[in-house]
Amino acid sequence: MSSTSSSAPAASRRLPSIPPATLIKWLRDMHLIREFEVRCMQSYQEKKIGGFCHVYIGQEAIAVGCTQAVRHEDPIVTAYRDHGHALARGMTARACMAEMFGKIGGCAKAKGGSMHMFDKPNNLYGGHGIVGAQTPLGTGLAFATKYEDEVINGAKNKRVTLCFLGDGAVNQGAFYETMNLAGLFDIPVIFIVENNGYSMGTAIHRGTTMSHELTIKGRAHGLKEATMDGMDVIAVQQDMHELAEWCRENSRPAFVDMRCYRYKGHSMSDPRKYRTREEEERHESNDPIGKFERTLLDNGVVTDAVIKEIMASCREEVRDSIQFANESPEPPMSDLYTDVFVEPWGRYPGSSQPEFTGGATNVCAFRATNGKEGLV
Amino acid sequence: MPIEITMPRLSDTMEAGTVIKWNVKEGDSVKSGSVVADIETDKATMEMQCFDDGRMAAILVEPGRQVKVGTTIALVALEGEDLAAVKSGGMKKSAPAAAPAPAAKAPVTASVTASVTASVTAPVPVVQTETRHGMEGFPVESGDGPRMRVSPVARRIADDHGIDINAVKGTGPGGRVIKRDVEQVIENAAAATTAASSAGTTPARPSTIVAGRALAVSTSGVQTPSAPLSLSLPGRDVALTSMRQTIARRLVESKTSIPHYQVTMKFDMDRLIEMRASFNEKLKSSGVKLSVNDFLVRACALAMAEHPYFNASFAGDHVRIHEVVNIGVAISLPEEKGGGLVVGVIKDADHKSLRQISADTKNLAEKARTKGLSVQDMSDATFTISNLGMFGVEHFTAIINPPNSAILACGAAVQQPVVRGGQLAVGTQMQATLSLDHRVIDGAMAAQYLASLKEFIEEPETLVV
Amino acid sequence: MTAVLSNPVFREPESMGGAIREIEFRDALREAMSEEMRRDKRVFLLGEEVAQYDGAYKVSKGMLAEFGERRIIDTPISESGFAGMAIGAASMGLRPIVEFMSWSFSLVAADPILNNAPKMLYMSGGQLGCPIVFRGNDGAGGQLGSTHSWAVEGLFSNVPGVKIVIPSCAADAKGLMKTAIRDDDPVFFLESERLLSIKGHVPEGEYLIPFGHAAIRRTGTHCTICAWGRPVSFCMEAAEILAKEGIDCEVVDLRTIRPLDLPTVVASVRKTSCAVVVDQSWSFASPGGELAAQIHRHCFDDLDNFVHRVHADDVPTPYSTKLEQEYLPNVRKICEAVRAATYRA
Repeated sequence: MSSTSSSAPAASRRLPSIPPATLIKWLRDMHLIREFEVRCMQSYQEKKIGGFCHVYIGQEAIAVGCTQAVRHEDPIVTAYRDHGHALARGMTARACMAEMFGKIGGCAKAKGGSMHMFDKPNNLYGGHGIVGAQTPLGTGLAFATKYEDEVINGAKNKRVTLCFLGDGAVNQGAFYETMNLAGLFDIPVIFIVENNGYSMGTAIHRGTTMSHELTIKGRAHGLKEATMDGMDVIAVQQDMHELAEWCRENSRPAFVDMRCYRYKGHSMSDPRKYRTREEEERHESNDPIGKFERTLLDNGVVTDAVIKEIMASCREEVRDSIQFANESPEPPMSDLYTDVFVEPWGRYPGSSQPEFTGGATNVCAFRATNGKEGLV
Repeated sequence: MPIEITMPRLSDTMEAGTVIKWNVKEGDSVKSGSVVADIETDKATMEMQCFDDGRMAAILVEPGRQVKVGTTIALVALEGEDLAAVKSGGMKKSAPAAAPAPAAKAPVTASVTASVTASVTAPVPVVQTETRHGMEGFPVESGDGPRMRVSPVARRIADDHGIDINAVKGTGPGGRVIKRDVEQVIENAAAATTAASSAGTTPARPSTIVAGRALAVSTSGVQTPSAPLSLSLPGRDVALTSMRQTIARRLVESKTSIPHYQVTMKFDMDRLIEMRASFNEKLKSSGVKLSVNDFLVRACALAMAEHPYFNASFAGDHVRIHEVVNIGVAISLPEEKGGGLVVGVIKDADHKSLRQISADTKNLAEKARTKGLSVQDMSDATFTISNLGMFGVEHFTAIINPPNSAILACGAAVQQPVVRGGQLAVGTQMQATLSLDHRVIDGAMAAQYLASLKEFIEEPETLVV
Repeated sequence: MTAVLSNPVFREPESMGGAIREIEFRDALREAMSEEMRRDKRVFLLGEEVAQYDGAYKVSKGMLAEFGERRIIDTPISESGFAGMAIGAASMGLRPIVEFMSWSFSLVAADPILNNAPKMLYMSGGQLGCPIVFRGNDGAGGQLGSTHSWAVEGLFSNVPGVKIVIPSCAADAKGLMKTAIRDDDPVFFLESERLLSIKGHVPEGEYLIPFGHAAIRRTGTHCTICAWGRPVSFCMEAAEILAKEGIDCEVVDLRTIRPLDLPTVVASVRKTSCAVVVDQSWSFASPGGELAAQIHRHCFDDLDNFVHRVHADDVPTPYSTKLEQEYLPNVRKICEAVRAATYRA
């Protein structure tokens, strides 16, 4: 586990014994996220995507490295900058893009949107729009895995939960409560603070005490702590794997200060006046994708041609996702009242209605189908 | 294919943007991610990035100009594409400025209906506030106000029993008639009936019970329900299409709110039919085939010059006389298109030749039966003609198409015995029936309009010149 | 596990027969939770002082001994944290019961209980449910002052996706709690500190009371009084007084306000032509206001007077016994409202 974010020159870094096919998959996953996010920006500007939209460009190594460090059955949950985690976890670009386009082919049938990606088959439990709100939920996911092991089936699956948050969420009360509970109840959850230096437009030192040593916040609650280089996918995967296995074995929580940089604005309407172009360029020269490519080229894992091929296939996959999202129908109006409890006698459609479903005079009909006739 | 750069939406509320500065010139290379321009949004000045690699072929919007989101503002030629060709191809679609759209002409229907509604409801009755239990600060009701107060259930019971609610003395707050007041009346009436019956005389109706509706109370006290159509009769339900719903709504509104009456006249059609045959023979080569209806449209339109009230709308406190003459033609739709009825509009019909009217009508009918009429095709009729002649109908009446003040229902031109100069002869005649809004047009005016029509139709040369 | 849950048999306690068995409201709640925990290992209880202390109000007394600390879990005073944690666990398929010592304390957990629990199923397009019960004391407990005397139904019934249960007696508390635990949606279960010690007949044997089914506590022909929770007993008392004056009241106990058994209320009001709604929450934007609007909507031509309402007064809950008594819906206010509504004032 690296103790600081400063790392050796990228091109000559260690390349642990990881099968080339695995490394190439990571590279492709990162490229897919970047291409996807670029086209999201474009689609947003073309008004295909509505509401708020937060892109993950620059942070790809974290979603890819972390998900590749744990098992597929280990639950993950994140905040609103969630497209990267969704794709890294295995959601199809089609389902992700269609959700943002507000189409029925979306992962949540167009009921969630950009900030609320859910994918139960891939154990992604959101996508949550309120800063820090996902931290108690993530602890709950981990609580449930532990409870299942100890109370229900005794199977000792020993799952570990990854709970991603931004450095802005570190200041939310719910997060402190959550760390306290996780520490108290020995819950195997890893809080991964994707520390990109800004909560919206506020630089971390302007909003957070001890920002130079963020892990102290975890230490205060007895959490295992680590600082990782979020711009280096190999480091993320290796360090996270080691940490996750420790949490799994010891059923204990951890806190990770994952150092990274957000290349684009907080959201699509952010002019980034609070930071300099020079600062951005400095970080852009440390691009996690470019760096990883150089490492793979230097170690003979890939050639330029392979990289070109990967990029072309990612472009094609994202282009296809946009076409799919364009062509996917809008949700039917009947979906407005599905996936939520509805009054048995009718709906509250927000007007001077509601009516009884069976007609205003038809009280008896309601009784007969739903009512006390069913009672003994 | 060159890439079109469009004005991006750079904030959730942005509708239009201004190019502040282009960072590239035509001919410069651009890369995905490079910042090509600064854009002023409703919130801030933002950088606009390019999403593709290539060369800037054309800049279509100069700095300082505001355009709507989505407008093409530049063209990027991709590798291998000719800059000049891309530019010349693109200049044609140079962006229009985001000038305010010309105010859409409100359809006559909407504006007139609105003013009718407004004027009908104009005198707003003064509603007095109900006294509230345990609340202070509300005006206290006085019992001698102008308005009768009745609780809803009291009104319903009174209605069910044919009791004149105005004659019931209310004992609720502010003299409100409440349930027990009405029940008291019913009880008293029943007692009176019983007393009268036992005395062997005809019962005198209580004064509060309106004759004819009080039978149930004054005889047995049991109401005879009317026999509704039993829903258990075998049959099938056909859902209303939205067109059918519109027809239902508009025609009920017309028939119930407009005081309709009808006036019918017969026209001799021989000369018109003869003239039509001769025209059609001559115009055959150019594919023109005039119908009788085309002549009627022109006749009705020309007659407006002398009879402006037939080209008018009732608007509550005034009558609006329209300057343009737009004749609506009812077009029935085929069953396989879901059936129904639309009114296609021949605009400025008084300025159009028979040929033009014929062409317009054919276009409208064709469009209505294939892809459907646009709102524009159906808007702004000032008078309507409905013709069932082609189905062999001789006479019928039509419902006014609001906000028109009249509609002409035309039957078939049929051969029948006619008297000419005291001699019985065979002639071809057509009956036409005007339905009229009596608020705008009186009977004598209708007769005069029909007389004008008769002149045009029986001397059809007047329709050509 | 699904087999255990399928087709619960709904029964009203009156239909159970058997000997009269009077137990306290809190015992009924405990019986319901314990029975459900025995039949389904996914059910667990967490909250402040629920385990070693036996529950601040002794509702969970003895449960730690039976179920152990893995399933009866003491939490720190950290409502936002443990409510959110339980919601996360519910989205994984567990069925937590979260005890708020008082619903007044749930306000610091507003984000998880209002923004996550009721919306999870919808926002995930049906992928993740949230089968969870939040329960605790609601309404004025007696001289607790304003911060501890919230009737949260006024706030929370505004949120789509939650079910809100407010039982008025021990038998209902048991049958409704069992239904709440087996329900797949988040249920807010509002108890009253003032009812916990009240004894009532709770029959032996298993019964579940369906949500959205009002109980008619007393039949009458002159006026329908609608209420839920603690004020139901005030309404019964008022009805006795009014009966002596010749006003015959029908008392409808809604039992759940979401779902709301409007058909029963409407049928009753169409019979009586007169309605009084009694609600212990503040009147502005309250469930009582909603019910009154629905009665006006569906019984417009049946009403002999506008629907009269009795609420807590529109002030923070006072400490003084005298003021607090006056502030709450009480027998006197209910009697006055019924007299006014029936034109007997």
